[in-house]
Amino acid sequence: MTELSWGKTADSAAAQKSRSGERLKFIIGGALLLGAVVFLIVSGTMSGARYFITVNDLLTSPEEYIGQSVRISGAVDGTTIVYDSTNLIIDFTIADIPEDTTDLALTLHEAVNDPTAARISVHIENQVKPDLLQHEAQAILTGVLQPDGTFVATELLLKCPSRYEESVPDQVEETGV
Amino acid sequence: MLAEIGLISTLFAFIAALYAIVASVYGERFAHSHALVTSGRNAVYLNFVLMTVATLSLQIALMTQQYQISYVWSVSSPSMPDFFRFTALWGSQAGSILFWSFLMSAFTAGATFLNWKSQRRLMPYAIAYMMAVVAFFIGVTLFIENPFDRWWILPTGDVVASAFIPAGAVAPSAAQLAQTANGLNPLLRHFGMAIHPPMLYLGFVGFVIPFAFAMAALASGDLSTNWIKVSRRWALIAWVFLSLGLILGGRWAYDVLGWGGYWGWDPVENAAFLPWLIGTAYLHSVMIQEKRGMLKTWNMFLVIGTFSAVIFATFATRSGLVDSVHSFARSEIGFPMFAFWFILTLVSVWLIVWRSSRGELKDDHQLKSLFSREALFVLNNFVFIALFVAIFWGSFGAPIISELFMNTSITLGADYFLQVTPPLFILLFILMGIAPVSAWGAASLARMGRAVLIPLALTAASIGLFVVGGVTEIGALFGYGIVLFAGWVAVVETVRGIRARQHVHRENPLTSVIALYTRNPRRYGGYFIHLGITIIGLGVIGSTVFQQETQQTLAVGESLSLGIYEMRYDGFLANQIAEDGRVMDIAELTLFRDGVEVAHLRPRRDFFPEATDMNSMTIAGAHSTVENDFYVILVNWEQISASSATFKVYINPLINLVWWGGLILIIGTMLAGYPRETMPVRVREKLHAVPQGA
Repeated sequence: MTELSWGKTADSAAAQKSRSGERLKFIIGGALLLGAVVFLIVSGTMSGARYFITVNDLLTSPEEYIGQSVRISGAVDGTTIVYDSTNLIIDFTIADIPEDTTDLALTLHEAVNDPTAARISVHIENQVKPDLLQHEAQAILTGVLQPDGTFVATELLLKCPSRYEESVPDQVEETGV
Repeated sequence: MLAEIGLISTLFAFIAALYAIVASVYGERFAHSHALVTSGRNAVYLNFVLMTVATLSLQIALMTQQYQISYVWSVSSPSMPDFFRFTALWGSQAGSILFWSFLMSAFTAGATFLNWKSQRRLMPYAIAYMMAVVAFFIGVTLFIENPFDRWWILPTGDVVASAFIPAGAVAPSAAQLAQTANGLNPLLRHFGMAIHPPMLYLGFVGFVIPFAFAMAALASGDLSTNWIKVSRRWALIAWVFLSLGLILGGRWAYDVLGWGGYWGWDPVENAAFLPWLIGTAYLHSVMIQEKRGMLKTWNMFLVIGTFSAVIFATFATRSGLVDSVHSFARSEIGFPMFAFWFILTLVSVWLIVWRSSRGELKDDHQLKSLFSREALFVLNNFVFIALFVAIFWGSFGAPIISELFMNTSITLGADYFLQVTPPLFILLFILMGIAPVSAWGAASLARMGRAVLIPLALTAASIGLFVVGGVTEIGALFGYGIVLFAGWVAVVETVRGIRARQHVHRENPLTSVIALYTRNPRRYGGYFIHLGITIIGLGVIGSTVFQQETQQTLAVGESLSLGIYEMRYDGFLANQIAEDGRVMDIAELTLFRDGVEVAHLRPRRDFFPEATDMNSMTIAGAHSTVENDFYVILVNWEQISASSATFKVYINPLINLVWWGGLILIIGTMLAGYPRETMPVRVREKLHAVPQGA
């Protein structure tokens, strides 16, 4: 691979030397660039990384996470949504959902209706209420747990699982046969 | 009936694809049978015909509302307009994989038809590779995500979806099915969203063609630049569709998601951006191979990388990988997809290593000067790959590794991307500025210095205009400067080319312009694309750095002001019913600029009574000018009287440049892909091709 074919006449010692000098330049330049990129990614990771935990994790060992920005995911309890549209403040409660689920829609439904599921109240400021913030939606929140137990979120992502999953036509089921 | 036709066509298309693979490879390599290889080609055409029939049956089933087909039931409803009935073909997983397979099949047939005569050595292997991809996706359609499943009521009363009639089952009544049909998610009922997926798919599918031809080159031993010549236009087509798909996705987010932005560094968006990055690196890098016979092995790896990114993007977004590695591993298509990708990549890498160990991928030249064009292209590749790695790491790498090995889950938010990517984008724009003025082989700094003088002066002048226009932030001016420099270089180099022609040929200016683009489409088309990217860059900087926002509750007749605009709340139209059944609540606003009335805006909230889950949608009102968008969202209103309402308002400077830049990019790509119709080149290519084909 490294053999040269560009100059049949360039096989003199001098050319060889200048060639290896050139190569050294490329190697040093390349190493510097690589180092810069690695540094960029590592430092970005250090400052941007957040633990993605469950509501349960957060409530079991709050002292570990208080004051630290984390991401949590939970099922939105639609009955608790309070929206102050004048000041753009949203408050609601999310219920714990397990990390691994096969049927997200079902898991969300069960979590919201399970009185024993761990719950946490969420407070968001300066946020227009998203259309997707609905009963039994999955909320993924980035924010900080406060000493009083509320979770103040700065970022809110929502998912309605039924979007890509097909459900059985239940009215058909009721009236069928 | 349609379901049966679709299912049977898909099954035979699958068999045809498998036959094409076996006949091509066995016929070429072992049996040396021309007839067998030709029958493999015919199987490609047959596959295309059958996939067309299958896709059409699903399309017709959607248009004619055959709700017994569970896919039709889940993505459409009686009240939906025909346009969205049509686009529902790719509205959900099963249909979109069928559609993907159809596009791939069509591209394969096209590439086979166009190159069968001229690339006899490459074609059997290229067909095998392309058909392997087609067969895999058709296999997923048949065995995992079947869009032709129908609803059946079992004797037990349970309702199931199945391709075949279960014993003793009866079909549910059509009326009940129609009544319960889901309809397309309201968020997806937007023009941008309707055509965004096919654009992306065309981009994805198109990039499989260069991959197939590159691997065919390795397998057949025709390691000349034939495979690059054949697949160059496909790569360009793929690239422009992918770019368009990304821009349309951004436009959809801007119009529909209502946060005044267009790119959120969401894993789903990033997954589609990854093939673009590596594909763009490839488009630049193959030029070096064509011109200088360098980077042969590297290009092979890039082409595999693009293919991998395409396969990854196709599945990552829908298989649950984004949420959790575990759910991905358990999702039905997760493992087959991984196995498919792994085997194809393994075979490809093995081919590279094999050819390389035989010394057949040796480069004709070596990098000599740090400022030669090839060195700058290598640097460009490096930056694209760095961006690829950084974005992949942030979206998928860190979460997956932490989940697999650290027993915790770590995610990286938008702040990671905002910190890591800008320096790399800056470096790219700098390279975009200086690479076009460098020379192949070796370049002298002095010559480059002379070449950039005029663009630098023009950049300084434009920056001056920005300063006069009120931009004082140093960081933003620096960003504008870097981006503008790249654009001015493209413009100046083009003008220089035109003037040189005029000087030599004494033509009129228009003839010169046409001649420039037809004689050297790639170079000048490329500059045109650079100009488009520059304009997008300006839009991104302006709308990110200088976005202004406010929110306020207004009583009827009251106004709010933001920047140079004043907005008055005039009144409210409640419960307006649209054609497709949505109920609209509309706020009526008047917009003034420096006291002069400029527009009436109607931000609104739509309610979809029939939708089961996601049933409301906020639609922003916007007043667009070159300078900025005034963008307003109706947040809430006093329920009965609507005497007051709350609005969130943004001013997004230069945002329209993002969309217009996209348009220029398309024109540039069309110029770059325009067939070069000059005799000498044709003759030269023919002369070049004959000894290798013989």
